[in-house]
Amino acid sequence: MRCYGFTPIQGSDSRLFHLPTTRLINIPNSNSRFSFSHSSFFTSKLVSATCMPPVSLRTTARAAVNDGLMTEEAAAASGLSFYELLGIPESGSLVDIKQAYKQLARKYHPDVSPPGRAEEYTKRFIRVQEAYEILSDPGRRALYDRDLAKGLHLAFSARRQYQSNEGMEERGEWKNRWQAQLSGLKRRSMNKDADGNLSWGARMRRQRDELANEL
Amino acid sequence: MALCAFSFPAHVNQATSPDAQRSPSFSSHFTRGTNLLCPSQEKLHYVRKRPGGICASLSERGPEYHSQRPPTPLLDTINYPIHMKNLSTKELKQLADELRSDVIFNVSRTGGHLGSSLGVVELTVALHYVFNAPQDKILWDVGHQSYPHKILTGRRDKMHTIRQTNGLSGFTKRSESEFDCFGTGHSSTTISAGLGMAVGRDLKGRNNNVVAVIGDGAMTAGQAYEAMNNAGYLDSDMIVILNDNKQVSLPTANLDGPIPPVGALSSALSRLQSNRPLRELREVAKGVTKQIGGPMHELAAKVDEYARGMIGGSGSTLFEELGLYYIGPVDGHNIDDLVAILKEVKSTKTTGPVLIHVVTEKGRGYPYAEKAADKYHGVAKFDPATGKQFKSKAPTQSYTTYFAEALIAEAEVDKDIVAIHAAMGGGTGLNLFLRRFPTRCFDVGIAEQHAVTFAAGLACEGIKPFCTIYSSFLQRAYDQVVHDVDLQKLPVRFAMDRAGLVGADGPTHCGSFDVTFMACLPNMVVMAPSDEAELFHMVATAAAIDDRPSCFRYPRGNGIGVQLPTRNKGIPIEVGKGRILLEGERVALLGYGTAVQSCLGAASLMESHGLSLTVADARFCKPLDRALIRSLAKSHEILITVEEGSIGGFGSHVAQFMALDGLLDGKTKWRPLVLPDRYIEHGSPTDQLAEAGLTPSHIAATVFNILGQTREALEIMS
Repeated sequence: MRCYGFTPIQGSDSRLFHLPTTRLINIPNSNSRFSFSHSSFFTSKLVSATCMPPVSLRTTARAAVNDGLMTEEAAAASGLSFYELLGIPESGSLVDIKQAYKQLARKYHPDVSPPGRAEEYTKRFIRVQEAYEILSDPGRRALYDRDLAKGLHLAFSARRQYQSNEGMEERGEWKNRWQAQLSGLKRRSMNKDADGNLSWGARMRRQRDELANEL
Repeated sequence: MALCAFSFPAHVNQATSPDAQRSPSFSSHFTRGTNLLCPSQEKLHYVRKRPGGICASLSERGPEYHSQRPPTPLLDTINYPIHMKNLSTKELKQLADELRSDVIFNVSRTGGHLGSSLGVVELTVALHYVFNAPQDKILWDVGHQSYPHKILTGRRDKMHTIRQTNGLSGFTKRSESEFDCFGTGHSSTTISAGLGMAVGRDLKGRNNNVVAVIGDGAMTAGQAYEAMNNAGYLDSDMIVILNDNKQVSLPTANLDGPIPPVGALSSALSRLQSNRPLRELREVAKGVTKQIGGPMHELAAKVDEYARGMIGGSGSTLFEELGLYYIGPVDGHNIDDLVAILKEVKSTKTTGPVLIHVVTEKGRGYPYAEKAADKYHGVAKFDPATGKQFKSKAPTQSYTTYFAEALIAEAEVDKDIVAIHAAMGGGTGLNLFLRRFPTRCFDVGIAEQHAVTFAAGLACEGIKPFCTIYSSFLQRAYDQVVHDVDLQKLPVRFAMDRAGLVGADGPTHCGSFDVTFMACLPNMVVMAPSDEAELFHMVATAAAIDDRPSCFRYPRGNGIGVQLPTRNKGIPIEVGKGRILLEGERVALLGYGTAVQSCLGAASLMESHGLSLTVADARFCKPLDRALIRSLAKSHEILITVEEGSIGGFGSHVAQFMALDGLLDGKTKWRPLVLPDRYIEHGSPTDQLAEAGLTPSHIAATVFNILGQTREALEIMS
């Protein structure tokens, strides 16, 4: 059940939604997504989210994770998830995604748009194309599904920055981790060849060191 | 080389404005003023990532890479790794960039494996910087990513000959250079070999380092685990570098897009990479360790180990359980990190086996490769500026494609037919089958042994499995073929692609032994098509043989252009029946497989000398067409068997039969033509065939020699 404990109230006003999200922008961006969804969980107890089946909880979250700039239009339009935009179920296969993308791309391509609505069509086209880009790559799709499950749907333009930022953050975490592992290795190696260690390698090393000491 | 003369400021600005329509002459401005320009400027060309393919083709947006080889001032000074030892980190990064462009331009001229080499450029630089090859042993699994390694170890000037006759091998090769410490080509062998080298070093009392680089795809093979298990037990010092680029199957895409990882190991590895939710718990554990620290080393180490085991995710504990110390994940494109870690591990005195999990991106640094679904794993010659490959248009398709089409036609009719391959969807053509029958195609990862026994299990349940494995890779699964399939007479069909000589890949991929090792098995039906139409019929025959195992072999290359059966559906041939293609007298050529085409060529050569030969296509090596052999032996003076296989294959079976049947007791002579008793080096297919002595001219010369007409024999050969 993806609503994370929010009680769905019929006809709740989505405007109530925006209030906590604007506050969230000021929350320091420590562990980005993880703490973000946590704080949204705790601070918005008073606000109910509309759980709209079959898609999971959606928040019209501003890109608080990073400094992504968003226009009002993008915010409004980002109410749709990629799957809804393409008109396919979440379990859609690659072939479905491709077909949907091709159909919509042909429909919304700026060259075939009705006069006067070219700009709107272009924007839709770009969104459709982004949706395809992310959903057609299994790795990125997995990341996106994970976010969707956590109840976050970020604006399209923010996503690209989001991904590279997430990449940077992950790399930063990695560095801490392997530095700790290296110090663990050093610590372990101090005791490794104590006489109690009977592995073949330890025995050979002791032998080699003894020979070296004799010389 | 710190001078950066900004002599073209106007051009620099042009580069930074987005969507600039860059003309090819722009990049040449950089190449002309060779020594003056700082190579880091060239990064402006391709550091920006563009969103992937909308309808407009890439070439319309302007070339995304250099069209001319950019200057490589730093790389020009490096001939051997020892020349790298005094470089600073900044210079190492520059070297990596130059090395990358060098690889791209070399492969664009010769063709070869590109994506994998690009992914390990930084790793190669870091390894050669920290370690001292050739005393320190660096092993590259499979070897197709060793192009940067070859460039840095004294073979840069020969890179234009790679994969060509008498040129560099496309994989590591001991006889080529002392820096290639182990020959590779098949996967998952480096940890075993590295452990052997480490133990040998220990026995001899030396103290060099041993580093084995292996990919995540190669990790799906059992041998890697056998090796790690043993390494953990023996506890000898060695370093295993797991090069993880999430590409477990080859090519790294099927026809419709990138392949999601095959098997459970990949998800374990990716969980290792993203351990976020447990990070906080880890911080707590670290704090506890810090508190305990001080004089209580051992206890602290134990706590750390438990903490790591608890929160390291199930992946790292896998390696830890096998006895390797796990470090990672590490960004494989960050030279600072790599050098720091490698230096640290190298300087630690007693480590035992250590596994460093490095995350790289296949095809990194070349925009077209990064975007391509198959990451430009193996490419023909291409244009570096646009990424377009120069694929020659052949009038016929490859045997691989014909096989896939034949199998699809059979599977349309028979619901029980399934296909199995070992991480070679593209190479075996089964990506086509996968697209048509998504639930009936099984990719087991690089695990041929498992594939065969898996097929045996399927056959037990009444399914009709077609196990499609390259002839040379089937060598790995030989015990399974004998014990699990043939001994129990299970109807598994083996489709052995790349039989015979394979061209640029060389002896590591050459399928010379399959006739020998398949035909000696008691229950196996062994056949080989002489052209693509025969291939269709043999696929149908194999589908029809339901009471015993069967196999058929076909070579690399394209068909000869015969008419295909209607709707790609072959007709089963009567088992054990060959056919006569040309009627002649005195001399009969009995060919097996595509060697029949060479026999026909020889026959036409002899026509001009007034001799007409009989050419027969044996089709089956087991069971032999005894009536055909008897009639040929009785009506001809000389019978020559021709095959593109080693000794002990088709010719030997014919000889055995003839001897037992008394056919050799009279005036009939039998001569075999087989692959010579040595490994044929890589080169073009025509060169290899000439080297092996199986061209039409060679066959004709052999006939002349036997007839005593040695002058004509020499004539034909020159």
